[in-house]
Amino acid sequence: MRVLLQLFWSFCQIGFTSFGGLSMIPLINSQMVGHGWMTITEVSDIVAIAEMTPGPVGLNCATFAGIRVAGLPGALAANLGVLAPTFTICIVAAVCFERFRNSRALENILFGVRPVCIGLIWAVILDLCRTNYLVGGSVQLVSVLIGALAAWLLIGRKWSVPKVIAAAAVLGILFC
Amino acid sequence: MNEKLRKAAGLYLYFFRIGWFTFGGGWSIVAQMQTDFVEKKKTVGSQELLDIVSVGRSLPGTMIGNVAYLFGHHFGHHQGGVLCGVMAVLGIVTPPLVILSVLTFFYVQFRDNLWVAKALTGIRAVVPPIILSAVLRLNKGAFPEKVCFLLCGLGCVLSLVWKVNCVFLVLFGAAAGLLLKRGKGREQA
Repeated sequence: MRVLLQLFWSFCQIGFTSFGGLSMIPLINSQMVGHGWMTITEVSDIVAIAEMTPGPVGLNCATFAGIRVAGLPGALAANLGVLAPTFTICIVAAVCFERFRNSRALENILFGVRPVCIGLIWAVILDLCRTNYLVGGSVQLVSVLIGALAAWLLIGRKWSVPKVIAAAAVLGILFC
Repeated sequence: MNEKLRKAAGLYLYFFRIGWFTFGGGWSIVAQMQTDFVEKKKTVGSQELLDIVSVGRSLPGTMIGNVAYLFGHHFGHHQGGVLCGVMAVLGIVTPPLVILSVLTFFYVQFRDNLWVAKALTGIRAVVPPIILSAVLRLNKGAFPEKVCFLLCGLGCVLSLVWKVNCVFLVLFGAAAGLLLKRGKGREQA
């Protein structure tokens, strides 16, 4: 029981102080190694696995660490910890958002926030292009071709996301 | 009440289904939601989805959890409430929990498996186009004036080149919006 609470609390801290994605990693590292739950090598492995598999890095690390420390209950406790901000701050935000939805101030704020958010998504795309198409300084031609094909299927042919991911997995096994 | 429970169960199942395909930090989910709710069912506006994503992204915690919660809460003309929000989050969280539980037991084998590595290289190659397709469709309604393109470019460069934290950037966008639209009424009432 004690260890479950510890897991929950650790991942609570990780959840509240991170804003998604890789910003969680330094914190996960210090919490895991500090408690003696994982070695540094395991942390870097889990980050790689968490990035490769579906699901956000934070939740995947929570499941991995939770199971290793305390089995499935540990995984649930750690997952709830990461989700704690969603179940608290987000509930408040949703209510406020609804109440002020038609106010002029919120409309003006969103006028500035919307384009910035689109810009942030572009930054994510460009960053991922760099890590996924350039490996060790050289362009991975096969990856670029698979990516271009996917862009055509998604935008031109309106394929759904799961279908494109399945096709990419098959192409990867055949050509990469 | 019955109606609400059915809606919550429906949301759980929907997010459970798309949760298996959360690649690229949750952005593929946004693309999926855009296709299903904005284009097919037309229950959510493109701008509304972008607002949910903007808010969800700038709050602490995992982005997809926040986006799923906000979406569930607002679902069906804002009738969803807390229950629908929570069910949406649980739905999207279940698949990664199952996958990682299995993987943790086969950790070493998985890590060193060549086929898995090849398939994942293929999947990683399609993540940027998936996000691209989402952002192209979210564009609608985000650029009512020319100055918005400037804000968009600034956001992108500051984040990509100077690694400015996205919370600061969203706050910057909010301040810019308030300043630029100061004293102006809403265009459509």
